[in-house]
Amino acid sequence: MEPILKTENLWKIYRTGKVDVPALRGVDIQILPGEFVSIMGPSGCGKSTMLHVIGGLAQATRGKVLLDGNDLTTMTDAARTMLRRHKVGFVFQRFNLLPTLDAYHNIVLAQHIRADGFDPHRFDVVADLLGITSRLKHKPSEMSGGEQQRVAIARAIVCEPKIVLADEPTGNLDTKSSEAVLNLLASLNKDLGQTIVMITHNPEAAAYGHRVLHMRDGLVVDGATVH
Amino acid sequence: MISQNVLHRPLRTFITVLAVAVEVTLVIIVVGLTSGLLLESAKRTEGVGADIMVQPPSASVFMAFGGAPMPIAIADKLRQLEYVQAVAPVLVQFNSVNGLDIVYGIVPETFRAVSGGFVFHSGHDLQDPNDILIDDVYSRSKKVRVNQTLHILEHDFHVAGIVEHGKGARLFVLMPTLQEMAGARDKASIFYVKCDRPDHTPAVADEIRDLLPKYEVRPLKDFLTLMTSSNLPGLAAFINVMIGIAVAIGFLVIFLSMYTTIIERTREIGVLKSLGASKSYIVQIVLSETTLLCFAGVIGGVGLSYLMRAIFIRLFPSLTILITPGWIARAGLIAILGGLLGASYPAWMASRKDPVEALSYE
Repeated sequence: MEPILKTENLWKIYRTGKVDVPALRGVDIQILPGEFVSIMGPSGCGKSTMLHVIGGLAQATRGKVLLDGNDLTTMTDAARTMLRRHKVGFVFQRFNLLPTLDAYHNIVLAQHIRADGFDPHRFDVVADLLGITSRLKHKPSEMSGGEQQRVAIARAIVCEPKIVLADEPTGNLDTKSSEAVLNLLASLNKDLGQTIVMITHNPEAAAYGHRVLHMRDGLVVDGATVH
Repeated sequence: MISQNVLHRPLRTFITVLAVAVEVTLVIIVVGLTSGLLLESAKRTEGVGADIMVQPPSASVFMAFGGAPMPIAIADKLRQLEYVQAVAPVLVQFNSVNGLDIVYGIVPETFRAVSGGFVFHSGHDLQDPNDILIDDVYSRSKKVRVNQTLHILEHDFHVAGIVEHGKGARLFVLMPTLQEMAGARDKASIFYVKCDRPDHTPAVADEIRDLLPKYEVRPLKDFLTLMTSSNLPGLAAFINVMIGIAVAIGFLVIFLSMYTTIIERTREIGVLKSLGASKSYIVQIVLSETTLLCFAGVIGGVGLSYLMRAIFIRLFPSLTILITPGWIARAGLIAILGGLLGASYPAWMASRKDPVEALSYE
């Protein structure tokens, strides 16, 4: 089976003043379609940077990122934007819902940006699956953290992305809400075959994945390849 | 999303809309005042009933700007021309005490011969050197009655009569009195010429041009079209400066408002980018919000203009403020274009934000 995501000797170097700071130092990973992969590692090891690069939010310094056969490292900013729109769904630690919009419009926004028009069937399926049907008219300020994160997940998957990239999705949640969100991600993966890459600090959360990648000092030190 | 964003900060939205409304009002009222003043002045000049107006060389169509350089004896020469029925010399003075008014110095008999005479609301014609006639609009606006004393041009006049408006000026005194006050003895500013038949006007105008080369000879049939801001020295520039100030207000307020909005919503822009929003999508959101604010401002500005006109006319009944659909549309367009220009840099700035930096913005 062809990997949905593959990186080859992936480097990301930030320049701070006159000093080069490497955040990724030759990362090689492969993720198959339908996999749920957790990425663990200490703070500053390059987890978030890797998520941004493989999701097309940041440009790699060198190496290759192949997402569904597209090499992100050779793409223009506009092409990476198109790729994010059609193939990537992001879930963030701080939910990042638009505060002026209610849950319904936060989710529909993703379909609107994709410009395919509103797909009511897909919307209903996602809202039902995430258990947010009764909260659709509420703004983020009127919802709990767990509810907000479920809306954020709905927004990420409503356009049927090839891959969902979750950056510490339970980092701002209590234990009960964390468990609910992780169960949701697991069920999305199991029931819909959604490919998920999740960054986490929590080993219990990481255990929800099929595979755990360990990172240290900008390198994947364990779990990089599929067994 | 656009309307929700606009309503998210009601005070900022209100101030922005108000600024655009002030911009629109400023344009509409300034243009309305100047064109109203010109139109009203032109209509009154036409209302004299003459066919031709003769002025000194290079005189302005706006007669208050003229002096009194023409010998009054010219009137006798004009009367001798073929087809000329009557000639009325008029000395024009500009009064700026208690408002801006044109004062006509007239010879009652000749002015009556050209204009057909005044329609009196009360009082009598000019008899005494200190007599003054005022029109009904002036009487209402200044609350002046017959037999009262009116202090204008550093002189106390006795109000002899109140006449129907529309005969050139709002204030009329005897020509010798005004000549004496202006130090322009035997001089006139304008000659109003009445032809025996209207279709003789072109022939008489040609005769006058032959008699008085270089003098301004204007058939009054065309007078309304001449009374535009472009024919008045400096007025077009004044209007443009006022429009420029109005546009600057709108531009700066929209710029500041959208700039602070973009800074405040940096993280949201990062979210939009993570969802795959293109640069043009983000620019479109910012400009759509601006357009919505400007539209609200234009509607408010038009309403405010009518309110201001009502207040001005209540306070100064002699004022004419002309609000035309053409200038409403132009003021609206100016406000929207100025607003979009003001929002273009913040929109560009938003579209260029790095998504990773934007998402980590606190």
